Amino acid sequence: MIKRSALWAAPLLFVGVLFYWPLTNILQTGFTSEWIETFSEPSSLRAIWFTVWQALVSTLLCLVLGIPGAYLLYRKSFPGQKFIRALVTVPLVLPTIVVAIAFTSFRDLPAIWLIILAHIFINYSITVRTLGGVWATMDVETEEAAAIAGAGRLRTLWSISLPQLKPALVSAGALTFLFCASSYGIVLVLGGGLVQSIETEISIAALQYLDLPKASALAIFQTLLTAMAFIVSDRITKGTVGIEQVDEGGNKPRVDKRDWLAVVVTGAIIVGLIGWPIAQVISKSFSFDGVLSMQNFENLSTRGERDLLNITVLNAAVNSLRNAAIATVISVALGTLVAYLLSRPALTKIAKLSNRTLDALFLLPMGVSSVVLGFGYLVTFGGGPLPLRSSWLVVPLVQALMALPLVIRLVYPALLSIGSEHREAAETEGASAGQIWWQIEAPMIRGVLATATGYAAVVSIGEFGAASLLAYGNQATLPTILYSLISRPGAVNYGMAMAVCAILIALTLLLVFLVSVRGSNQTQRQP
Amino acid sequence: MQIKHIITMTVAGLIAATSLTGCSAATGPTSTNELTIVTHDSAVFTEELLAEFKAETGITVTQVKAGDAGEMTNKLVLTKDAPIGDLVYGIDNTFAPAAIEAEIFDTTGDYAENPLREIDYADVCLNYDKAWFADQGLTPPTKLADLTKPEYKGLTVLTNPSTSSPGLAFLTATVATFGEAGWEQYWSDLQANKVKIASGWEDAYFTDFSGSSGQGAYPIVLSYSSSPAFEIRDNGQSQTASIMDGCFRQWEYAAVLKGAKNVVGAQKFIDFMLGQSFQTALPDSMYVYPVTEGIALPEAWAQFAPAATNTVGGDLNIAANRMGWLVKWSAIFGNN
Repeated sequence: MIKRSALWAAPLLFVGVLFYWPLTNILQTGFTSEWIETFSEPSSLRAIWFTVWQALVSTLLCLVLGIPGAYLLYRKSFPGQKFIRALVTVPLVLPTIVVAIAFTSFRDLPAIWLIILAHIFINYSITVRTLGGVWATMDVETEEAAAIAGAGRLRTLWSISLPQLKPALVSAGALTFLFCASSYGIVLVLGGGLVQSIETEISIAALQYLDLPKASALAIFQTLLTAMAFIVSDRITKGTVGIEQVDEGGNKPRVDKRDWLAVVVTGAIIVGLIGWPIAQVISKSFSFDGVLSMQNFENLSTRGERDLLNITVLNAAVNSLRNAAIATVISVALGTLVAYLLSRPALTKIAKLSNRTLDALFLLPMGVSSVVLGFGYLVTFGGGPLPLRSSWLVVPLVQALMALPLVIRLVYPALLSIGSEHREAAETEGASAGQIWWQIEAPMIRGVLATATGYAAVVSIGEFGAASLLAYGNQATLPTILYSLISRPGAVNYGMAMAVCAILIALTLLLVFLVSVRGSNQTQRQP
Repeated sequence: MQIKHIITMTVAGLIAATSLTGCSAATGPTSTNELTIVTHDSAVFTEELLAEFKAETGITVTQVKAGDAGEMTNKLVLTKDAPIGDLVYGIDNTFAPAAIEAEIFDTTGDYAENPLREIDYADVCLNYDKAWFADQGLTPPTKLADLTKPEYKGLTVLTNPSTSSPGLAFLTATVATFGEAGWEQYWSDLQANKVKIASGWEDAYFTDFSGSSGQGAYPIVLSYSSSPAFEIRDNGQSQTASIMDGCFRQWEYAAVLKGAKNVVGAQKFIDFMLGQSFQTALPDSMYVYPVTEGIALPEAWAQFAPAATNTVGGDLNIAANRMGWLVKWSAIFGNN
């Protein structure tokens, strides 16, 4: 017990210093008795209502559309599968303004549908990967038996697969809901600034009017919403864990005629909603003055038209990769540690309760407004006892903070799904906790660990908010450079921005692809 | 494990972390040869200029980008007890009154009367796609009032005044042009004439405007009078031009921050910003017009992007009226 408490220290210190401290500081600044009035303002109520319903609709659609996707991409096999798996992850790194550019073909739709489509575009891979990771390791025999007994695909899915996937579904749903509920740039840009969510209201209150009491009040509400999403998911997941774990290596069945529905749905999403917009951006990156050209890429070794940038794009790419490496190592290490500690059996009621509290404590950074946190950093780390803000390390540290909940959400369900039999057996044989982890548990969840690594890197590479606030001068990253380029008129800068996007896309594909190849190879080597 | 333990541990950790870095912070530089300049995101100080300043004064400049003009102003207000720099550059006339009221500037010596120094200006004007109008055989609009005419229905994209600074400038221009009695009607007519509202300049210019590289669907956009200088095509002509009616002039100021560590250096940098080299570089590096007399504009600017000869709204009190205007504007345009 003492040892386990010691293990908690590192991750708690990390979120304590980098998240709760600045958050408390800034909320205190805005603390007044007028909080309640904020909630009676019609604009606040509208924003709260809009946030909740669009996040619910987006999440539901992501889940419904993601199930056939997870099935095809992880339970079945077909040529090019790994490439498609990587492709659906790309939208996670695209900065908002680029999503807007990519969505040009859809821009005649009503703003609300544009926002929901964009949320599906961005979060689709979360359902696919979370479900897929569990589904791939699930026993096929029951499903096959059902098929032999004459049950159709939908029937098998409904009565056999989905109940087993429930924890993963809830986990993916909670994550998607949080992303959609705290989405800022998408609502702002695709809603033309006319559709307000809690996040955009916070931002307008804080940035335009310096109305910190209102921003704080809404931020607190958003935090409550996050906590609520967590409690709901926690309640639903409880008691349904313990899926029989089977290694992923086995030969997966090829896609066959009976999968037509899944193929149609997934094909439409991957080609129409994800592939087409991405292709738009790529084609713009190869076009200069209306003709096919590599000019935009050649320009990347420069600092833009009239030396607009502080450093060349290549230097920024190096910064981005360095930050991603650091953020990934930190978030995967700490996230896996937290998931591991949380997955240990809680014997007492108090232990169970504190486990859940801890889980929520690490999830919260995802649901809190980046504007509020940014202001928190400003007042906490600007000078004071910990002048982190002037160090380049602050950017990868914040990115690790952002990736941490994602890693925990991916690894934790996987660890739970292993079940306790293997561990208990090993314990009876006298194995230590460390031995059990390294020799039994870690190898079993290698695939998921690889996915978590890929996601952490991808989140860091695409992260804009913290980088724009904290990375200046020679520390610019690819997304901040992209915004600098696109905030000035002129074909040269625009073309370079599109080329930066193409590179972000290529980097993501490469990262996710490599990780998935490595992950599954290693799993296959398991007996 | 008990919650109490967690809290105790976190607090202990915080104290440890704090004291550790407290030591390293103490060794940080305090010399007056360093100058920190807080700017908005669009400010560009080229290495050449900073090297020239260093050669003249021995001072090394660090630039801290703090968001757009509004965000930057608010950050400075928020941190005024321990300022994040010595000098601010890029506060404009829409935010300056609020900043003065919040007392964030140094007001000693020469700066007692007015803490702000004008460095440059930009004119927010409507731009249109010349090629599009030529293709359609349609005469482009020449004044704000034209935008509500039926022939220009569905052709204009503007930006939201509550989320973009050119948007607020344009709203001010409409108040100045049509008066407190008429501006709301003008916007209602604009809405009826199907103008599109984008959240920010980038979005309007690159995804909706047809005359930029983004090749959107709207041939009229809210931008700057300088933008046509950056849309010159192979034939040597600019694809776009500005509508010179109803332009709003945004002045950008520099000011020494109250509590600055290097007041003398900050004042030296303001003098440098008003000097020949810096002012000459302004159009190319920051896409704005110089304020110092006798500075020649680049050729493309002289030909395609002259400053507006007649601007409106400069005499309005934006800081005091902003909230009221935006509430009324949202009542016309807010759709949720």
